[in-house]
Amino acid sequence: MSDQVKETDKTVFAMLAEYDNPAKLMKAAKLVNRAGYTKFDAHSPFPIHGMDGAMGLKESKLGWIVLSHALVGFSGGLALQVWASSIAYPINIGGRPFANIPAYVPVTFELTILLSAFAAVFGMFFLNNLPKLHNSLFNSENFSRVTDDKFFICIETEDGMFSEEETQKFLEGTGASHIEKVYE
Amino acid sequence: MAQTKLTDNVQFPDSANPSRTIIAVGVVGVIASLVGVVVNYEQFLHSYLTSFSFFISISLASLFLVMIHHITRSSWGTTLRRIPETFSSYLWVFALLFIPILLGMSTLYGWTQEQYSPFYEGLREYKSPYLNVTFFIIRNIIYFAIWSFLGYKLYNNSIKMDETGDWGLDSMFRKISAPGIFFFGFTLAFASFDWIMSLRFDWFSTMFGVYYFAMSFQAIMAVLIVMILYLRGKGLLLNTITRAHINDLGLWMFAFTVFYAYIAFSQFFLIYYANIPEATLFYFVRMEGNWQYVFYAVIFGRFVIPFIVLLNKSAKANYKVLTTVSFLIIASHIVELFWLVMPSLHDTFTIHWLDVATFLGLAGIFFGCFFFFFKKQSMVPKNDPNLIESLNKH
Repeated sequence: MSDQVKETDKTVFAMLAEYDNPAKLMKAAKLVNRAGYTKFDAHSPFPIHGMDGAMGLKESKLGWIVLSHALVGFSGGLALQVWASSIAYPINIGGRPFANIPAYVPVTFELTILLSAFAAVFGMFFLNNLPKLHNSLFNSENFSRVTDDKFFICIETEDGMFSEEETQKFLEGTGASHIEKVYE
Repeated sequence: MAQTKLTDNVQFPDSANPSRTIIAVGVVGVIASLVGVVVNYEQFLHSYLTSFSFFISISLASLFLVMIHHITRSSWGTTLRRIPETFSSYLWVFALLFIPILLGMSTLYGWTQEQYSPFYEGLREYKSPYLNVTFFIIRNIIYFAIWSFLGYKLYNNSIKMDETGDWGLDSMFRKISAPGIFFFGFTLAFASFDWIMSLRFDWFSTMFGVYYFAMSFQAIMAVLIVMILYLRGKGLLLNTITRAHINDLGLWMFAFTVFYAYIAFSQFFLIYYANIPEATLFYFVRMEGNWQYVFYAVIFGRFVIPFIVLLNKSAKANYKVLTTVSFLIIASHIVELFWLVMPSLHDTFTIHWLDVATFLGLAGIFFGCFFFFFKKQSMVPKNDPNLIESLNKH
């Protein structure tokens, strides 16, 4: 096996642009979004307020996933108890009604919370494409500074608008201090 | 974008002061209540206690909010702090307003009468070391002394900081609040035992203090939202109390809607499940006949509807939705206090004209005091060290 595969043999994964400060990154993110790119991401050492808006990200769908699971937990918990203690095996407990709603609240509540919590965690994994064992961005030497003092935008080749020359030229115009191709 | 100083006019203008309406409402209410004293003394006292416990709950929850704000050195609410500060600054007025209840306590509270009923005599004597007239008066003096002191002192310190701009006064806030919150917890709990729970001295719930607190603290968020949106409606503090602040109050309101439900249900559930006669009679009266509709109205008005509506993120940022939910919560708070107090007089749910009269009378005094003190000072703690950070909250 030869280690020296020619650069041209590798497939390009993304175009990575490096910025010096959060303000430049923010401005660049706005430009990239406005230019119509959709498969791009911004990386920074710390969260930047307003970045979601600059990147044109839509509201996360996670809330709806959690809500649907919460409703399943709620109705499931209630139905389970109503069925068990008033239909399948009715027991007279202290003269209370068989369908004893106040007594069902704790279990219904717990099941609602349990399913919501699962939905929140696993839904988040699902929406983030996790678990992901490797990301091609780590092939870039410079990218390791993203946890330190540099700010990056990467535009993936999967993006419909991507073309090596055009995208490179476009990124140069966004105030990037360094641009490189990242290989798979 | 970032604000480096206050840009709004911080003086409350006379044009925004609804003093005429307040005086008109107050005078009508007070006169009608005085008529009620002569006509139906027992009904007057119960109605008065309901209204009293509503208005003082706003002031007390404000006091708690201000203290917790100081202890945690929060900055989010600095720009809106003057509103709860003002609410709690005149807690001494409530000490005066409590006098009618002290005068009428032998009519209001069964435990004050030596021969209340032969059946309860043993129990009454058993509880008399705590529930006796002298100790009741002493306790209430202590409550009002502590609250008046805390409320006035925190307000005064804040005013002083406005005038002198001395940031050294900032540590005073915490020196007052830290022990203050300790005493507040006890006094509020015992006050609610004394005022509302002892209406039926054969019933007790150790959670009642927390329950009254949870009710009040949910309501204060609603009151603050309404007050702030009132000010905004008059074009005041538009850049000072921003969307971010109101959104946070919406979050608080949502959180305490859940907290309230948790506390209220916990109290109900243990009693319901244990099914001990002496414990259940309190709820038994309140869930029988047409009182049960009030009971369900409170559940929906205070928890179910606000919870479902406020669950949505955008609802907490929508002023119209927030105002509607706030009014619903405030109304439910009144109805719930009515539901707690009134069954000791009426077996069935009825609204007496004195309920309205005492409410209007106290509303006049309460909001009259509020605007009287509010207009005298700047509407924002303008020299507070956290002010700039709070202005730029997002």
